[in-house]
Amino acid sequence: MIEQGVVESAGQCLIKGSKEEAVSLARQVIDGGADPVELMNLAFIPAINEVGDRFGRGQLFLPELITAADAMKAVTDVVNEVLSATTTVRSNKGTILIATVKGDVHDIGKCIVTSLLQANGFRVHDIGRDIDTEKIVEQAVQHDVDIIGTSALLTTTMPRQKELEELLKAKGLREKFKTMVGGAPVTPRWAQRIGADAYAEDAQDGVRKAEQLLAIAVS
Amino acid sequence: MSKILTRFGDGYKVELTEDEVKADIEEGCNDAASRAGIEPLARDEQEHIFEMFKNQDTLVGIERGREVVMTYDGMSSKIRRAHIVIDRVQSLQVFERALGADTLELSHIDYSFKPCKPINGFELPDLDLLLNSTVAPVYYGAMPNLGLYSQPDGPCPNPADLLPLGKIDEARQAYEEAIEHAVSDIVFVASAMYEAGVDGINIDTVGAAGDADFLTALKATEILKEKYPAMGIEMGMAGEFVLGMHGNLSWRGVKLAGLYPQDQVRLAQQAGATIFGPAINIVTSGTLPWNVARSVTFCKACSEVSEIPVHANLGMGVCGIPLTLTVPVDALSRATKAHVEICRLDGL
Repeated sequence: MIEQGVVESAGQCLIKGSKEEAVSLARQVIDGGADPVELMNLAFIPAINEVGDRFGRGQLFLPELITAADAMKAVTDVVNEVLSATTTVRSNKGTILIATVKGDVHDIGKCIVTSLLQANGFRVHDIGRDIDTEKIVEQAVQHDVDIIGTSALLTTTMPRQKELEELLKAKGLREKFKTMVGGAPVTPRWAQRIGADAYAEDAQDGVRKAEQLLAIAVS
Repeated sequence: MSKILTRFGDGYKVELTEDEVKADIEEGCNDAASRAGIEPLARDEQEHIFEMFKNQDTLVGIERGREVVMTYDGMSSKIRRAHIVIDRVQSLQVFERALGADTLELSHIDYSFKPCKPINGFELPDLDLLLNSTVAPVYYGAMPNLGLYSQPDGPCPNPADLLPLGKIDEARQAYEEAIEHAVSDIVFVASAMYEAGVDGINIDTVGAAGDADFLTALKATEILKEKYPAMGIEMGMAGEFVLGMHGNLSWRGVKLAGLYPQDQVRLAQQAGATIFGPAINIVTSGTLPWNVARSVTFCKACSEVSEIPVHANLGMGVCGIPLTLTVPVDALSRATKAHVEICRLDGL
């Protein structure tokens, strides 16, 4: 169980934007035997959400947000590193390709989703951010994935998720993959409107929806 | 119990019970109040909004005698967006004589002061035609659009490149450098148009590039007001609070980042603005009762402290209007009625 002191320290590290302190705290807690997923779920994810909420309310500003995001990315890398070292002993529930769509450089949320999917036994191909729709399809075919997950954090980049649906149909690949969409401006209604198979509210919901999609796929 | 047909902020239709609509209105008020540190709407005001949504007529209208001034931004291009072949002057004549506009805004399609500067000489003949063929006051409008001053579009280093590299001081310096260029362009264009006969300047979408963008508008307004005391200056905002893209900028001792409409308007009027336009963001996942109640709460607090006329921005994606290319009239009329009747606005 993650102690309350760790939760508070994680929050302080991110709000201060101290990458070194955040990484050091993460390594210390994981080395002490704590579950890295629990560390993310209970400490760092609520902390980055708090940072995002303060930014959204005009109480914290872009320079602070960027340094916090940088610290969060570093912590996510530490957790992913630990998780990937242990995935060989986990069962593979399915293979997922994940990307942030073209024109969108936001990837903190996507990295958190990657972490939780890996932690829950999925094999994940995270192909990065600002990824062209054609490339997403090519990589999905190459890795023979079950699900394509895309993230869009801007209303201006959301149409790329629709473009993916259309490209899959045009290439005759729509039935081969399940699709899942997420990102701050994305809604269940948007997912339904463009024909995506699932909408994920957050990382935990992404895991839940991935499990549901694959249960549907194999039934 | 019968259901009330309304929409989400993205225009998608939804049916809600009366209790759900009431709860959304209350939550919308409380959200605005907690963010801006203001009072939520009174119970009777919330009830007034509820009655508007309960009324299932397609259109609702304001009470007789509560009519307000109608101004528009970007009106030179709006009819052409409907693929109607019409020039700018004719377009503004249509707004004045067919659509009931009380002021007219001449603007260039680029709608930013920077590109309007080198073509100023080409704008003057249209202004001349307009002034000689219309009666309503004429504004010339554009945005500060600070983004155009960063590389590769402008001379200043690009904060969007510098910030991810951790070069925060350099990014802040780049913003400060951009402010000086933008103020100079606004003053140049506004002066030229005013001396050619325009009645006022509309500095629109202020704060789109954050606190530096707001500071640009304040500084330009201050200079213009000193230069031309009778000039009308409308300042329309880009969002409900000033984004802290720089984070440390102040004007007359007030930190700009994080200011909400009731504080924005105080600075605008101190600088010399004669009309202020708050803009409240739509939340696409929230219902219209929630969004309208929230927007009215922000705008009412702004209107209460303002000593200059307040013309709220009611358009696509702001002040309770859904984010759709064509605004649904049921949504537009309800948002308009709520803002006019509760916020005691001077115009829209």
